Amino acid sequence: MIQATNPLRVGLRQERVISPQCLVIFGASGDLTHRKLVPALFELYKQRRLPSEFALLGCARRPWTDEEFRNKMSKSLTNEIKQSQKEWHDFSKRLFYEPVNLEHPEDVIKLKSRLEEIDKIKATHANRTFYLSVSPKFYANGCKSLADAGLLKDPKRSRVVIEKPFGRDYRSAQSLNRIVQNCALESQIFRIDHYLGKETVQNILVLRFANAIFEPIWNRNYISNIQITSAETVGVEDRAGYYESSGALRDMVQNHLTQMLAITAMEPPGHFDPESIRNEKAKVLQAAHLANELEPWKCCVRGQYSKGGSKSKPLLGYREEIGVNPNSTTETYVAMKLFINNWRWQGVPFYIRTGKRLAKRTSEVALTFREAPVHLFDAAGGTPTSNQLILRIQPNEGAEFRFEVKSPGSGMRSRPVEMEFSYDESFGEPSDEGYVRLLADAMLGDPTLFTRSDEVEAAWRLYTPLLEMIEDSPWQLPTFPYESRTWGPTQSDELLAKDHLLWRRP
Amino acid sequence: MSPQLTLQTPLQIPPQEIPGYLQKLWAQDQSDNQGANTFCLLVWHPAWLEQKLVNTGRINGPVIGLQRSDLVHEARKIVLEKDLPHSTPPLAKEVFNCLQANKISEEYDDFRGQHIDSAISQLQPRRLITLAPNLDKGHDLETLVAAYCPLPEEGGGDSACGDVIVLKGDTNSLKEGLHIVDELIPEDLPSWLWWNGSLDEDPDLLSQLALPTRRIIIDSALGNPTHCLNVLQERIKSGQVVNDLNWLRLRSWRETLAMVFDPPNRRNSLSNIINLDIDIEGEHLVQGLLLASWIADKLEWKLTKEVEKDGQSFKTKFLCSDNSMVNFRLMPLPVGKPSINPGQIIGLRLICQSKTNEKSGLCVILASESGECMRLEAGGVASMELLEEVVPLQNNPAEKDVALLLESSRGSTSPLLSNAAPMAKELLNLIESEK
Repeated sequence: MIQATNPLRVGLRQERVISPQCLVIFGASGDLTHRKLVPALFELYKQRRLPSEFALLGCARRPWTDEEFRNKMSKSLTNEIKQSQKEWHDFSKRLFYEPVNLEHPEDVIKLKSRLEEIDKIKATHANRTFYLSVSPKFYANGCKSLADAGLLKDPKRSRVVIEKPFGRDYRSAQSLNRIVQNCALESQIFRIDHYLGKETVQNILVLRFANAIFEPIWNRNYISNIQITSAETVGVEDRAGYYESSGALRDMVQNHLTQMLAITAMEPPGHFDPESIRNEKAKVLQAAHLANELEPWKCCVRGQYSKGGSKSKPLLGYREEIGVNPNSTTETYVAMKLFINNWRWQGVPFYIRTGKRLAKRTSEVALTFREAPVHLFDAAGGTPTSNQLILRIQPNEGAEFRFEVKSPGSGMRSRPVEMEFSYDESFGEPSDEGYVRLLADAMLGDPTLFTRSDEVEAAWRLYTPLLEMIEDSPWQLPTFPYESRTWGPTQSDELLAKDHLLWRRP
Repeated sequence: MSPQLTLQTPLQIPPQEIPGYLQKLWAQDQSDNQGANTFCLLVWHPAWLEQKLVNTGRINGPVIGLQRSDLVHEARKIVLEKDLPHSTPPLAKEVFNCLQANKISEEYDDFRGQHIDSAISQLQPRRLITLAPNLDKGHDLETLVAAYCPLPEEGGGDSACGDVIVLKGDTNSLKEGLHIVDELIPEDLPSWLWWNGSLDEDPDLLSQLALPTRRIIIDSALGNPTHCLNVLQERIKSGQVVNDLNWLRLRSWRETLAMVFDPPNRRNSLSNIINLDIDIEGEHLVQGLLLASWIADKLEWKLTKEVEKDGQSFKTKFLCSDNSMVNFRLMPLPVGKPSINPGQIIGLRLICQSKTNEKSGLCVILASESGECMRLEAGGVASMELLEEVVPLQNNPAEKDVALLLESSRGSTSPLLSNAAPMAKELLNLIESEK
């Protein structure tokens, strides 16, 4: 039987040390807190990465007590607690709760004195990270209330984490940036995108910049096109209220997929430090544009899932889901073609697609290289395939490289094979959830994996022609129906067919 | 990155006036910055060899207390000149001892405690207190104080400031002035003692400085191995936070060995280890013993009482939880140009042989250079799956390693070191009994 852990690995990870800290979560009664944030903090606690002087203060409008908050959290972590009861017992003593309505200044004043009290009990040294896990409409006022109460005054001891979506479009993002930057320094603002917390997304940086073999060919001279896919098998589930007003473009493309695009396409930074990395990401996003900004319908396809599944397990269409307008035109699928106007990528199409209820859950970046200039050999499959490097973000995290080899036999026929790297096979241990990494980084004050104001604005600006068209003349960008658990509308295949290409079937 | 100097010339102030002066200094600060809220580092910084080399005119002053290249170069020359064994580490006590005390340079500057390595200054220490003993007797206590701001390397500019205090004089006058040190260490910040010298010298002074509440940094490669491991183990046992630079230098060996067994399909080989060989530079056994003890602890091996001296090497056995035995051999090897740090590991061989399938086996060789790889390949491993990695020796200046410890400390002794140290001590006792 294979050992579950490598005994020589135990205790070797040298993680950075988080200073004494109180993490304040606004929206503590919400879904994200109990599904992601508290489990991530508990994981950090179990990994001994939280300092002994740590406290979590949950804040929301509900009039809970500390004890009620602890009980609610323990209920949502039942499985994790079963295996680590002692750890939970110790960890839960660090959980506190304060009823706060961010729009009531008197609540925020009360919060301030509660924090001072916690500083005394838990020796948290007035180091505070405020996490805004509230509805986006409260971001601006939330920051203002914290600033007015003097809670963001010390840039070394206080920071604010803001969840996505950061704005609804370029203008609103710009104005939100102005407001939060009036409340705190940019170095205190951490705009979170949990995709950046994924090992495999960070691995794109390592793969590119720690290996000499990739960078020389990572450009228009060798790469013919890049496809970035994030496909989900689930539907809208219980998020209809939010999803109806956002759609796939705002929910996935503007943030997660655009971050993958930036990391894949950015120039090598001079140093591995937050500003160098974010400078390069911002630069590449500023150089990116839709393949046809004047006629966006020629480079973008929207879709909406209709019913599907099997007789025994039928699946509802989007418009039949609870909470969805029966005439909704919200897209659950979007595919588009982009270009990046710089020396490295001029002329190389970037195809991006994301959708719900697709055939398979997968996220990946696929780089297709140019064909060999001369085909000397017959290909077993008819035509020789181009080399491909596929970076698998999830599931089955890893990378694969496809190249041609000689097919066994007397002739000289070529056929493609794959060279694989799998996180599981090489490391054998599951990597942390994105939030584990990002919460730790925020408390450490390391903004490398958080998006800076100019990045967010550049990302929104990139999709402005589409957003405006959807707003002003939606009939020009209709939502084409596609059957649940297929690869999206046929119009999306046509988008690539025009370039004599096919979407990769992961 | 070059070392950084204090911003102002240090002022010579009588010891009793220092606390008052510092209070005034921070109160006068125009900004509301009251100094960094980080840590205080107390350094015992004798730099005996450097003092002697400057004293005898073999290298130029000033004395700065850092492992500079001309110091190491000159020390290596002395090893050859004085017919010391070639594997004598350049900064070893033997090199110091063989130098004549012919004083040539009468006056030289002594900047110990004022030259702050940028790796340390970047951590924005609140207070650096250096005890800089003078080689010559008859020097009264002299205290220097300066405010200090780390220069931002690039961008930044929000560095918090601290202060630097240097106590100079001969060892006796320094000891007389020790009471001032306690007064100068801020109570509300973590305080560290870096014993930047051999563990053999002045155990009383070490005890006086290494109060239980202070986190200590020592180097178990400096001093008699038995004494080094005694200090290490006793301090850990007493509950003090102990950081060992010699243990820290093992990190790439630990990491590389763990990396070999990360793929799940290799993990079973860990239960089939039959041989563990470790080669070290020179005769300081501590690092080799610590690595063996770490492996034994992680794989739940117990030490047996068997020990044998075979030529230069020492052999013993570990008992595994399934009652099988692992042969362990520690081999001190003479080397032509030894590292600055005595007893560094230069090779490790681990042989795994399945009990059920004798034909399959895995031989893991980690070595600091290819010659050592070839040496370890000998001895019937040809039929096994061979896995070789080159692990570069850790030749960071001590200041860089200290900065790493300051930065990454969790305020407790590494559990890995806590577990390995007692077994390393037991192993050394066994070896000593055979000598």
